[in-house]
Amino acid sequence: MPSGSETVLFAFQCITVLSAVGVALLPNVLHAAVALLFTLVGVAVMFLFAAADFVAAAQVMIYAGGVTMLVLFAIMLTHFIYKAKLKDQGMRLLVPGIVAFGVFTLVYRGLIDLGRWIPQNAPEKFAEFSSSPKTAAIGDALLGNYLLAFEAVTILLLGALVGAVWLARPEQ
Amino acid sequence: MNLFQWATGLQGYLWVSAVLLCLGILSVLSRKNAIGLLLGIELIMNAAALNFVAFSKFRAAAIDGQVFALFIILIAAAESAVGLAIVLRLYRLRQTIDTDEVTLMRN
Repeated sequence: MPSGSETVLFAFQCITVLSAVGVALLPNVLHAAVALLFTLVGVAVMFLFAAADFVAAAQVMIYAGGVTMLVLFAIMLTHFIYKAKLKDQGMRLLVPGIVAFGVFTLVYRGLIDLGRWIPQNAPEKFAEFSSSPKTAAIGDALLGNYLLAFEAVTILLLGALVGAVWLARPEQ
Repeated sequence: MNLFQWATGLQGYLWVSAVLLCLGILSVLSRKNAIGLLLGIELIMNAAALNFVAFSKFRAAAIDGQVFALFIILIAAAESAVGLAIVLRLYRLRQTIDTDEVTLMRN
């Protein structure tokens, strides 16, 4: 008999996979963007169950709150809503489907082997990791071991945002 | 081992992540709409972040995988901001975001 938390996690895994199928296959891009919202929330719940509370919160705020809204705005700005052109017509599915399935088989076989090779930590450390809050630890890591990467990402974000504003500027 | 235990362990995480990756690749390869293509890239990035977090919990019991997942989220945000700005610019210049019709640099 599965426990309550196992059932919840399994339900959200199913939601994630089903809505990801929607993102890939729904002909209407607006519908696909809404399906992406469900995928992102499902992944956030999976983060939560993998003892990653801070990452889950960041996922909901940045992805589900920010990126999805940005995508919806872009869809509505680039199409008249009632235009039939919103449909992504003539999707070529045969060759991409074969490629994607091949990648899936390779990756999944590889991941099973990888999961067996990588040794597991001691059980007591494992239990301590699962129950401790992560925000302070992530802050320590960002300003300690990962300081250089952190600074590089801040400069990347600044450059990307300035570039995005410059690209989307109105015509003179 | 029943289905629930399998699905909520490391294998379940890897399975969902592999499905997200292959659906993302399918989306990138099959869509003609530039925004649909960006949605596929978001799926691929989420698959990578999910793997980092899953291995961080089930194998290493260390914080590093979560830090990498945060970096992935940040880079995905930057990527989608620039990508959507390019799409808006393209729409203003050519009145289309169909990737088959943007052939200025072909040949």
